[in-house]
Amino acid sequence: MNNQKLKKIAKSVRKRIFQFKTKSRFGHLASCLSTVDLLVSLYLDDETNFDHKNDILIFSKGHGAPAVYPILSDLEYFPEKELDLYCTPNGILRLHSDSTIPGCFFVGGSLGNGIGYAAGLAYGSEKKVFVILGDAELYEGSVWETLLFISHHNINNIQLIIDRNGLGILGKTEELLKLEPLEDKFKSFGFDVATVDGHDFEALRSVFSHSSSTRPQVVIANTIKGKGVSYMEDVWQYHTIIPKEKEDLEKALEELS
Amino acid sequence: MTSQRDVFIGELFKCAKKDKDIFLLSVDMGASSLDQWREELPNQFFAAGISEQNAINFAAGMASAGKKVYIYFMAVWAARCFEQIRYSCAMGENPITILGNGVGLAYAPAGPAHNPTEDIAYMRSLCGIEIYSPSNNSMVKSLVELTYKEPKLRYIRLERKQAAEMQNAYPSWKFNANSIKSGLETVKPGLFEPRHPTKPKICILSSGYMMGRASEVWQRLISNKHQVSLVDLWKIKPIDLSIFKSTVEEYDVLITIEEQTLSGGFGSAILEALSDVGLKKNVLRIGLPERYIFENGDRDHHLDNNGLSVDSIYEKILLILSNKI
Repeated sequence: MNNQKLKKIAKSVRKRIFQFKTKSRFGHLASCLSTVDLLVSLYLDDETNFDHKNDILIFSKGHGAPAVYPILSDLEYFPEKELDLYCTPNGILRLHSDSTIPGCFFVGGSLGNGIGYAAGLAYGSEKKVFVILGDAELYEGSVWETLLFISHHNINNIQLIIDRNGLGILGKTEELLKLEPLEDKFKSFGFDVATVDGHDFEALRSVFSHSSSTRPQVVIANTIKGKGVSYMEDVWQYHTIIPKEKEDLEKALEELS
Repeated sequence: MTSQRDVFIGELFKCAKKDKDIFLLSVDMGASSLDQWREELPNQFFAAGISEQNAINFAAGMASAGKKVYIYFMAVWAARCFEQIRYSCAMGENPITILGNGVGLAYAPAGPAHNPTEDIAYMRSLCGIEIYSPSNNSMVKSLVELTYKEPKLRYIRLERKQAAEMQNAYPSWKFNANSIKSGLETVKPGLFEPRHPTKPKICILSSGYMMGRASEVWQRLISNKHQVSLVDLWKIKPIDLSIFKSTVEEYDVLITIEEQTLSGGFGSAILEALSDVGLKKNVLRIGLPERYIFENGDRDHHLDNNGLSVDSIYEKILLILSNKI
C-alpha cells in the first residue's frame, strides 16, 4: 500500500477516534492520536513485518490502545458499530483494552508492566511480540528492570516501540524529568536503536521491515501528541481535556476529513 | 530437618526433569536445592536479579504462553510487587506459583523490613488467589503436585524453620484430592466422649509455624481437663466453607493464633468465614501487636515477648473462658 493511501486511512482512523472519544468523553484522546500512524504502518502496510494474524501487539501504554479500535474494526475483528458504543454498557470497547476484546491482548491500565509481560510471552511462545510504550511510561523503574532482562537473555523476537511524543500529563518530559539522551540509554542496555519520524510512513517502513539484527531492537518514534487536530498538537493540557465546544469539534472534524 | 523450601524445590525438580515447560525464577535467592537445578536444568532456571516487578511480569507472560512458572523470593517482597501480582497475574488471569520463603518473624534478626507480618491480609485481598501455609513436609509435597497439575495463581507461604512439634503431627497424612480441597485438618481432637455438658468446647485454629505453639497450648489445656481441639487451617484462601462449618459448629469458643498483626489476617479470615456460614461464636484472635518490632532477638524471642509465648496464649484463653475478655 502506498504512502498516500496509508495517510488517507490514518486520517480516517483519527477521525473515528475523535468521534468516539468526544462522544463518550472518556479517555486520552491526544495520547491515542500520536500513536495512529505507528499502528497503521504495522497493521496495514504490507511491507512492514507485523502480521496481525500471527504476531502479538501489546499496549504497555494502555491508554493509547483505543487508537487501534478503528483498525481492528476495518479488519473485521468486531463490527464498526462498536466504535459508537465505546465505553457504554452495551459496548465491548473500553478505555484500556484487554483480552476480552477481539484482536487485543493482555490488560491495559498500569504503566511499566506490559513490557515485562510481553518479554515473558515472547520468550515462552517464540511468537513475534510488538510492544508500544509511552515515553513518560519510561519513568517506571519496572521498564528498566525488563530492559536489563531482555538484553541479558537476548530476547530478539520482541520489538519495542517508544511513542516519543515528548509530553507527560504535566508538560514536556525534558522539563519535568529528563529522559534524554534516550537513544544512548537504550544502546547502553544492549539494544539496537532506531529513531524515526513516527508520522512518516516511509521511515516507519524502513524500521519495521525485515531486519538482520540479532540483538533486541527498539524504535524511538518521534510523534506529536494530538496529531491531526491543529489546536491539540503538542499542547500538554490536552492530555486530559477532550474538546467539547461546538466550534472546536467542527474544526477538528474538518481537519480530519 | 530439610526446610520447606528445599522440600518444595527438590520435589519440583523431579517434575521439571520430565517436563521442559516448568520454569523456576529466583529473585536473587539461593537454596541448596537450587544448586542441582541450576546445574542440571539451566534452561529452566532464571536468575531474575533483585527485580521483583519484572520477575512477576515476565512470569505472567510465560504463563500465558502455557509455561508452568514458579517464582521464589523472600515472602516479604510480595508486597514490593503486589501491583504486578494483582495486575499481570490476578487481573490478567495468568497462573503462576509464588513461593514466599520466610513468613512471619522468620527473619527476626534482620528487623521488620524483612519480616512479612501482614502478608496474609494483603495477599488474600487479591481476586482468585489461593493461599497456603503448610505446617509440615507432607503438605509441602502435596502442594508441588497440586501446583504442577492444576496451574493457578497461588501464594505458598513457606516456613524457614519448621515447628518441630508439627513435623510428625500427621503420620498418616497423605496427599489426596479431599485433603487439598478442604485445606484444614483437625490435628488433635479433644472433645470428651461423652461431651461434658458444663465445660465449653474450645477449638484452636492456627497454621504454619504457630501450629507448634498452638500444639503446646492444646496439650496444656487438655492436661487441665478442658475440652479442646486443634485445627490446622493451612489453606487460608479460599476457605472451604462447608467443611469449615461442619468442623467448627460444635464448638463454643474459637481461638485463632497467628504470627501476623491482626488487621485483615488469619483471624479476620476466620471471622469472615463464620459470618459467611451464619455461625455466631465467641472468638478470640491472638496475634502480634500493631507495631513493627525493632528489638534484637530471634524468632522465638520475639514471639515470647510479643504476646505469643505458650504461657501468654494459655493465659489469654483462660481469661476468655472466665469471661474476663
